[in-house]
Amino acid sequence: MSLPETRVLRPKTVEEAVRILAENGPDAMILAGGTDVVPNLQMKLFSPRALVDIKPIRALRGIAVEDSGTLRIGALTTLTEIAESPLLAAKYPVLSSAVGTIAGPLQRNMGTIGGNLCLETRCRWYNQSYFWRKSLGGCLKKDGPVCHVAPGGSRCWAVWSGDSAPAFLTLDAEIEIMGAKGARRIPLKDFYRNDGIDRIALRSDELLVAVRVPPQSAGRRGVYHKLRLRNSIDYPLAGVAVSMDVDAARVCRSARVAVTGVNPAPLLVPQAGEWLVGRKCSPELIERVAHAAIQTGKPLTTSASTPVYRRDMLRLFTRRALEQAWNARNDLPVSPAAD
Amino acid sequence: MAPLSIIGKPLAMTDSPAKVTGFGKYADDLSVPGMLVGKILHSPHAHARIRSIQAAKALAMPEVKAVATGQDTRIPYGILPIGHDERALALDKVRYIGDNVAAVAATTEQAAERALDLLEVDYEVLPAWFDPLESMKAAAAWIHDEKPNNIEKEYHHEFGDLAKGFGEAAFVREERYFAGEVNHAAMEPHATLALWEPDGRLTVHSSTQVPYYLHRTIAEVCEMPMSRIRVIKPLVGGGFGGKSEVIPLEVIAPVLAVKAKRPVKITYTREEVFLAHRGRPITIVELKMGITREGKISAVAARVVQDGGAYCGYGPVTVLYSGALLGAIYDISNVRYDGFRVLTNKPACGAMRGHGTVNVRFAFESMLDALACDAGLDPAEVRRRNLLKAPCITVNGLRVTSYGLPECIEKVVERSGWAQKKGQLPKGRGIGVACSHYVSGAANPIIRSNMPHTTVNIKVDRDAAVTVYTGASEIGQGSDTMHVQIAAEILGIRPGRVHLVAADTELTPVDLGSYSSRVTFMAGNACLAAAQKIRDQIFAAVAKKFGCDAARLEARDDSIFAKDDPRLRIGFDDAVVLAIDFHGALVAQGSYTPPEESRGGKHKGAGVGPSPSYSYSAQVAEVSVDTETGQVTVERIVAAHDCGKALNPVTVDGQVIGSVYMGLGQAVQEEMVWENGRLMNPSLLEYRIPSTLETPLIESIIVESEDPEGPFGAKEAGEGSLAATIPAVANAIYDAVGVRLNTLPITPEKVLAALREKEKQERARNGAKGGAR
Amino acid sequence: MTKELIQLRVNGETREVAVPPYKLLLDVLREDLGLTGSKRGCDDSSCGSCAVLADGVPILACVAIASCYQDAGITTVEGIAPPGELTPLQESYAAAGGSQCGFCSPGFLISIKALLERNPNPSDEEIRVALSSNLCRCTGYMQIYESVKRAMAHGAARVAAAPAPVGR
Repeated sequence: MSLPETRVLRPKTVEEAVRILAENGPDAMILAGGTDVVPNLQMKLFSPRALVDIKPIRALRGIAVEDSGTLRIGALTTLTEIAESPLLAAKYPVLSSAVGTIAGPLQRNMGTIGGNLCLETRCRWYNQSYFWRKSLGGCLKKDGPVCHVAPGGSRCWAVWSGDSAPAFLTLDAEIEIMGAKGARRIPLKDFYRNDGIDRIALRSDELLVAVRVPPQSAGRRGVYHKLRLRNSIDYPLAGVAVSMDVDAARVCRSARVAVTGVNPAPLLVPQAGEWLVGRKCSPELIERVAHAAIQTGKPLTTSASTPVYRRDMLRLFTRRALEQAWNARNDLPVSPAAD
Repeated sequence: MAPLSIIGKPLAMTDSPAKVTGFGKYADDLSVPGMLVGKILHSPHAHARIRSIQAAKALAMPEVKAVATGQDTRIPYGILPIGHDERALALDKVRYIGDNVAAVAATTEQAAERALDLLEVDYEVLPAWFDPLESMKAAAAWIHDEKPNNIEKEYHHEFGDLAKGFGEAAFVREERYFAGEVNHAAMEPHATLALWEPDGRLTVHSSTQVPYYLHRTIAEVCEMPMSRIRVIKPLVGGGFGGKSEVIPLEVIAPVLAVKAKRPVKITYTREEVFLAHRGRPITIVELKMGITREGKISAVAARVVQDGGAYCGYGPVTVLYSGALLGAIYDISNVRYDGFRVLTNKPACGAMRGHGTVNVRFAFESMLDALACDAGLDPAEVRRRNLLKAPCITVNGLRVTSYGLPECIEKVVERSGWAQKKGQLPKGRGIGVACSHYVSGAANPIIRSNMPHTTVNIKVDRDAAVTVYTGASEIGQGSDTMHVQIAAEILGIRPGRVHLVAADTELTPVDLGSYSSRVTFMAGNACLAAAQKIRDQIFAAVAKKFGCDAARLEARDDSIFAKDDPRLRIGFDDAVVLAIDFHGALVAQGSYTPPEESRGGKHKGAGVGPSPSYSYSAQVAEVSVDTETGQVTVERIVAAHDCGKALNPVTVDGQVIGSVYMGLGQAVQEEMVWENGRLMNPSLLEYRIPSTLETPLIESIIVESEDPEGPFGAKEAGEGSLAATIPAVANAIYDAVGVRLNTLPITPEKVLAALREKEKQERARNGAKGGAR
Repeated sequence: MTKELIQLRVNGETREVAVPPYKLLLDVLREDLGLTGSKRGCDDSSCGSCAVLADGVPILACVAIASCYQDAGITTVEGIAPPGELTPLQESYAAAGGSQCGFCSPGFLISIKALLERNPNPSDEEIRVALSSNLCRCTGYMQIYESVKRAMAHGAARVAAAPAPVGR
């Protein structure tokens, strides 16, 4: 399966990259690790005129804690670096937990956190070869008039299939974006538009530069549970990230729950924080939040496994993650889930 | 008999240096000057008439050197003589999404893809059939005009007295089992390079298990004599049956090469591998079995429907294997079998490791487990009470010459800790047992003929190198190494002295192919016979030199010597020189044909099932089940396989473990998913063969029943263990959490649904009794 | 489209080729450099048959654009051992049955080499995880693990590849 003809440009600085993106507009695609973009190119889902290889931009790599206590991870930091970082395992366990489940070790060696936060949405009617899609007349997301998941409607239901985004959402993360008009920062939760086609709030002249986690999120207990049919390689069929601050009396001081793999965006469960704060752990409370999780996560038939099962697991994993986070000892990072 | 010096010892595969250095060549690694890239246009419709194909725009591209359509491949073919119903490129109709419509050869892959887009095909879409049970009732729009009701073939066999048998049973069960569709997923996608030689000969390098059948088919379709065609098998990256019949690209590439007068290579994408398919069909098994109070199986009746896809392929053979090996593993006198092979508008199914024996074995061994439970008997013990005594002939005419199943059962019961664990593991953990068997090659050839099934030639010349010419196809199972070991053992020389030339129709004699696990038994016997003749020629010369009887001589450690007088000794090289002085170059031929007595009965379809010998397998699987997610973790599988004699324990273990691995995949996580004839998961991302993290500890135990007719007693080792894995896992799940899954694959979702249903029924029962006891 | 002249450092040698700028590293290795050891087994970077080392890190050559890897030292299976030799890992692989059809072997050898260089004594679980991007259809992985254990026992000794191996 050949790649479409395209120029490959290799800027050495962020400024150069932005200039190239601005010049080419929607005809340019950013290339980092390539594990998402390249297979999509082979399937002829995109035919850019320019691939902008940003790997040479050293400034975009690295995990650092600023003086303010803010964690800053450069967009080109590989998933392996993140999964293996002792700092992150100790202080931001939900991140290690989540990123360690992405695909397999070789994909993690190439994949970057920026790439994972900007993943193209996925659907079994979309992630197919040119022949396959052409034989069907395309779909709403690509070359066709109809969404095969919900043919009666006019929305695209392609699913957000990244594991790191929900973890970052539970840490109140922010992202740094650089564009032709300069730098901007937005909360990560505002980056996702919950639309299968128009998935992220990133203009064609813009580049994700770093992800930031505020000081108050450091040390939160956290864990990520991922539903997949194999224990490696696979995208999430459902995923739940939980981060929590619990005091010595085991009272919850802050909590966030985010779900992925079930909607066109990773989403925070809105009620989780307010319901859990100031309370002690109880099965009823956990069940209430788990139930809220499946009001937030609404899987359709976009992948293997039925929506019913994925919803069931979303609820179960929310329960398990909350129990683990609440009951963990303060001095131990919660172990990443292998579901 | 003198102790063996090479047979029975571990030996690295002779082609492993090529494999571990990356220098070995598989078909897609081959490249020649002027080579064109071939690409195939596939049908977007499941069932449609082809009204016309316009190729002008594609041909106008300067990079395009040839376009082919069904007009260029008019002659139909098929692996079975009764099933010549497919064409390399469809002529009048396409019969599945992915069927082959046209092909182009161009100077680059990109140009070839662009050319495909420029081909204009006018289709008349027809009604299509996707569900086998619906398809069988089709009144019209048949997939093949000559197959009414879309039934490719049906067979009805009855042996013994079923009514009497069921009458004797104390426990009878009748259940329905369903097996989803699976694909071989060999790591190497198919690839074929065809070269048109200036003298008008065609040389075809192809990733195949059956160079001989490919040779015949290319000759038929291209209307050229076989003598002007040469088929060469390069390294093959796995087959498992997916390359055991001619696959369309293998004919399309030569056709394009002949048209373009330039070499053409076609390599399938992984998606195309799935669309070419020839894997294991969706199978519905309605099984009824009865056992006596003592656990003796008194009757078994099976009705099997196989969804064979759009073409005949191996279809009749698959559905016959389901009947032939249904009951023949045990001593059962009353067996009925009704088998239906049905056509649907999906890629054709074919032979996949274990062939038609696998899905019925799942049903049978699961039901036997349930019946054992009903009777309050240990399932391993029930198997012991139903064993055959070899030598014997089963009720359906299969001749059993060696039968290591009793020892297999004892070994796995012991190694797994069965007695301590069965029914005694903590809730959520369980252990299950099952057995299976397979043929060591088919006693009756696919194409009726008196030709030996294998011939092996050996040449020894002045350099004292021993060259073995075999048509047998190495596909990773150890065929090449097996020949080298046998020749080396007989001639008493180091394996490193034996050079193998294999699977090149210009140089090597015909071997029917690497399918039905025939190679060790048949090519091994042929090689042994040839080696013995060479040895006899050498011994004759040495005997003359020593002035002794040839019967006193032995060959070992690169020497030939008199057994009773070690002073009479000569090195192998010198012995060869002596022999050549007498004969000229030493040449011998050995061949193998299965004996008449092994060929089975005379009833319709009796030709499938008989084999010169059978392998046996017993397995115990241990699982743990997460009752909240339904996730099944297979913790350990212990498999004992009776291979007659392990010529090479490393390769035997590898085959047994590999078979178990493939059975495991089918049991819990592999399935081809269809939506109206469209394959939804034609990729290794979505068709989930197990990674290291789902594959448990698999232990292989070799059992050697020393078959009287196998080479050094050897029988097959490559397929027989797959089938037992699936019911062993299913039975273990029952032991763990008390639910029986009759549908494959056993996904977490199905387990969870079964657990919830069980819980619901228990609550209803308790409720009906007025509260829990 | 005009080709680009790129320089790749592969197996210790600098090679120069003219290729379309978007050509995949796997295809440049196989078609332009004649290094057919790395394989294509799938369409979507999910099988690991194409694994090569880039500065010692195992990556998937089927999703790497060659022109973007000109600064990396690439090692393919052909470069694991000096010519005419087999490393203890390759020897063990052959002896223990790690290679049946051999198609996935280059990818596995690359992943294992990287693992043992980072961690000469991995646990069983670490081996399984490190190899979890590599799919094998033949072996069921058991004899691959056995090969790794034997290689670990051998240590760093190099063994010459014998053209006529004695006693084998």
